[in-house]
Amino acid sequence: MSEQHGPALVFRKFGLAHRRPDGEDVLLADVDLELPTHGFYAFVGASGGGKSSLLRILAGLVETREPAPKMSGELLAWGEPVTEEHPESLRDQVAAILQDEGLLDELTTRENVELALRAADRSPKLAAGLLAQVGLEHAPARPAQLSGGMRKRLAVARALAQSPRLLLCDEPTAGLDAEAARTIAKLLREAHDQDAQRTTLVITHDLDAFAGIADGVLVLDRQQRTLRLERRDYQPSPAENVRRSGAVQAGEPAAVHALRRLLLRLAAIGETVMESLRRLPPFELGLVLRTVARCVCEPILFVAIAGAVIGGLSTFFALKNNPVHGGFESSLLTGTGKVATAVLVPLLTGFFFTARMVAGAAARLGTMKRTNQIAALQTMGIRPADYLLTPLVWGMVVAMPLVTLAGVVAASAAGFLAARVVSGFTTVGWATAWFASVDPRDMLVVLAKTTLSGYLIAVTCYHLGTGPKRSGAEVGEAVNRAIVVGMALVLAVHAGLTFLVYA
Amino acid sequence: MHRLRYLIGTLTLLAAIAGAFWMVRLLRNLDQLPGMALQVEFREARGLRAGADVRFRGVTVGTVRAVTIAKDGGKAVAHVVLQPHAAGHACVNSAFWIVTPRFAGLTDGATGLDTLVRDSYLAFHTPGERGSPLVAGSLLAGRERPPALAETEALEPVGHGDLLMSLLVPENHGLRAGSTVFFRGMPTGDVRSVELAPTGTHVEVTLRIARKHRQTVTDKSVFWVARPYVSGALFSGFTVGDVGSLLSPYVSYYSAPGVGAPVTDGYRAAARTSRPEAEPAAVPNEALRQTERAREPVADDVVTVAITYTAVERDTWSPDDPIHRQGNGLLFLDRAGRAIVVTARSLVDGAFTETDVFGGDPDVDEEQIKVQLAGGSVHRAGRVWVDPNGADLAALVLDDVPPDLICTPAAKLSFDAAGIAGAVELRASGPNGLPLAAEPQLPAAPGEKLGGAVCSGGRAVGILGARPEPVQVVPLANVPADLRPQ
Repeated sequence: MSEQHGPALVFRKFGLAHRRPDGEDVLLADVDLELPTHGFYAFVGASGGGKSSLLRILAGLVETREPAPKMSGELLAWGEPVTEEHPESLRDQVAAILQDEGLLDELTTRENVELALRAADRSPKLAAGLLAQVGLEHAPARPAQLSGGMRKRLAVARALAQSPRLLLCDEPTAGLDAEAARTIAKLLREAHDQDAQRTTLVITHDLDAFAGIADGVLVLDRQQRTLRLERRDYQPSPAENVRRSGAVQAGEPAAVHALRRLLLRLAAIGETVMESLRRLPPFELGLVLRTVARCVCEPILFVAIAGAVIGGLSTFFALKNNPVHGGFESSLLTGTGKVATAVLVPLLTGFFFTARMVAGAAARLGTMKRTNQIAALQTMGIRPADYLLTPLVWGMVVAMPLVTLAGVVAASAAGFLAARVVSGFTTVGWATAWFASVDPRDMLVVLAKTTLSGYLIAVTCYHLGTGPKRSGAEVGEAVNRAIVVGMALVLAVHAGLTFLVYA
Repeated sequence: MHRLRYLIGTLTLLAAIAGAFWMVRLLRNLDQLPGMALQVEFREARGLRAGADVRFRGVTVGTVRAVTIAKDGGKAVAHVVLQPHAAGHACVNSAFWIVTPRFAGLTDGATGLDTLVRDSYLAFHTPGERGSPLVAGSLLAGRERPPALAETEALEPVGHGDLLMSLLVPENHGLRAGSTVFFRGMPTGDVRSVELAPTGTHVEVTLRIARKHRQTVTDKSVFWVARPYVSGALFSGFTVGDVGSLLSPYVSYYSAPGVGAPVTDGYRAAARTSRPEAEPAAVPNEALRQTERAREPVADDVVTVAITYTAVERDTWSPDDPIHRQGNGLLFLDRAGRAIVVTARSLVDGAFTETDVFGGDPDVDEEQIKVQLAGGSVHRAGRVWVDPNGADLAALVLDDVPPDLICTPAAKLSFDAAGIAGAVELRASGPNGLPLAAEPQLPAAPGEKLGGAVCSGGRAVGILGARPEPVQVVPLANVPADLRPQ
């Protein structure tokens, strides 16, 4: 290929700045640099200097819901500009090993590699060979059981599954002792040498681990706000590691910045909704079916018991505390039956379902976001919506009516028992009165309410769960918000549809 | 853990789906409930709703499935399903009406007051003389108001020895069946019926005077229908009397002490139009002619009756066993004038003789005791007493005793256990109630003579029992004092 010997990355007058409420934090300015293909580069520089940002730009992992870094000039990967939008042609050519590895906790060690292989249209059978290559042929089945070094190796194996032209690594030796770090460095070099076209860029603070391994050192000079390529035996001076203060320049006004954030958030909501509709056909059918089963099975007993308590108690007290003692019992039962089956139990089922399912799903998504699992999916070329949103939408849309059915049936059964105990109603007498004013239209309305609220809470859950997460606290905050917004949506749907149909 | 969660979830879902199917099927089946479907038309539904009860003699025997409007808009139609066992009680002459609170003026009082605090319901009444049974799907015309009191048999039954007489009044002033009859201001009887005489010259009021008060009526008694009156003069002051009759009119009579002779059933008297001080109104003389004289009850010997006992013994694990027994009993009047039949407990108490397969108490249901008198009439009887010490002895009380009942006089009864000594003979009735010839000795097996009267020296001293020996004389001495004649 023509570009085989051309530069892998080209910076032309490239500038990079973080947008902050108090101004712009300029990281790079007027960078002119070419990184030749098939190089193995260690990437060093002071913390907060923009190494990870640059890596995320190259991997196409720029957060869309926050103001993006301000870029100027050109940054080309094999001649394709990556500054505007990450080109589709690069998606399966770039692999990234992120700082938290982003191993998918729900899959086994082997499935993590298989998923990457499938995403790259390669045979999942290659997984065994890749695991053997990184020395994980006898590794524990679950990623959670792996040690820090093993996790890095698994991440390497998964990255190699994509057979990328550009392999990006963010601190692969962080938290490892010198020996383990050296092993990982060697492993990366071996992987690099497998493919003559591969270019590897490794962010590190541990140049010793890569001594004699890297072909060159890419230095981000925070003082000069520039990038330069040094020889392989380069050692940074202590002064270069000091973050320069006062780098913030006046940028856009705070109000504009706030408006930009607000608009981005609104656009993100629209994007999530559009994504949920566009990706509705189940791409991962097995995953969708599993999610449906989980959404039905997990809350159903809880909701049935809650429904039984509501139906039983409301009937019991309606008949027991009847001001006209023993009078108008059929009428009371008719009222209770209508309220319970058509209004109260479906609404409360929505609440119970939200409390039981949304908390779990939002926490799971938030954690995935926080630990880079979602970013890992993206680098594998998988749309997170296919893998996370579509199953959730199907799961909740199917589960909500079924779970509501269980709640209504349990409430009716408990209502029957209460009516029998308090007033001695027979089965026929109870059924006549209980369902006297419940008609098929009510059931259709309940179906509409539950389906719509199921869809809305699934989208809410995904949207809030996959928003930017800088800390564990933000995960907790997102869970909280998902429950509150989910319940508000359930209430709004029930109130709105009830008003529309019955008022 | 995950598998358990999925298992529980799947089981709950299946249970919910099964429950939903059951409820849907139940609702569908409501339209095809077993029982007899009827349609009853009313001018107005009066708050009757689907799901309301249908009651017969106050017992719920069906459900109103729907209340619709007739096609031509002229009537409200109640679609009724009667339970299968009650379908036989609805006949072509049954009256259906909607029970709602009704105030029929001051004289007739209020009915259906329970529906002030309960949903309206549908009631029906079938007269004693039943018509042919209704067939499913019949369309009936309902009554807009409940049938009159007499039709619902709410009056006290005429007891043995009560006086039944006719009072002829020129005009009815609000008397109706159930109105009270007073003597010296004390209730002594009631009005049974109020009818216009066929000739149209007067109104015939049938009175029942209770047995213990019948001696207050003589052929010299003066009857009047009470109406409020004002007496007195301008200077002496006014007296307003009989104000109570404003609300509910009544009959009053007065007999001067020691004057006149007792009267018999069927006695006819003319009533004055006002209290005795006023001039009596004229009643045609021919109306005073007595039409019929009832027979005097004649009783000079031991009287036995035929008894039929039917019941069903319910078994949980096997088909129900019907019980049917025929036997005898000894008839006399107790001190309160009730007609008592003393008989063998093994004849009229299924729980006494039947045993449960597992040794527990037998479940005997649908008991019916019927007594046939020598005259051929059949009466229901209730079992009011059984010997607490386990002797084969029970006492029945007859329902609806005819006024001319013939029964054993007190002189022919011996409640002394010592009376059994000596030769005995057995008196019994055949299945038709007619007395059989007296047998000089006790039979080898009681058979249908079980409960027959065992006599000694012409007086009944016991009855023929079957426990503990197959043939056993149970002395009348066991009968408690309040069930004996005076």
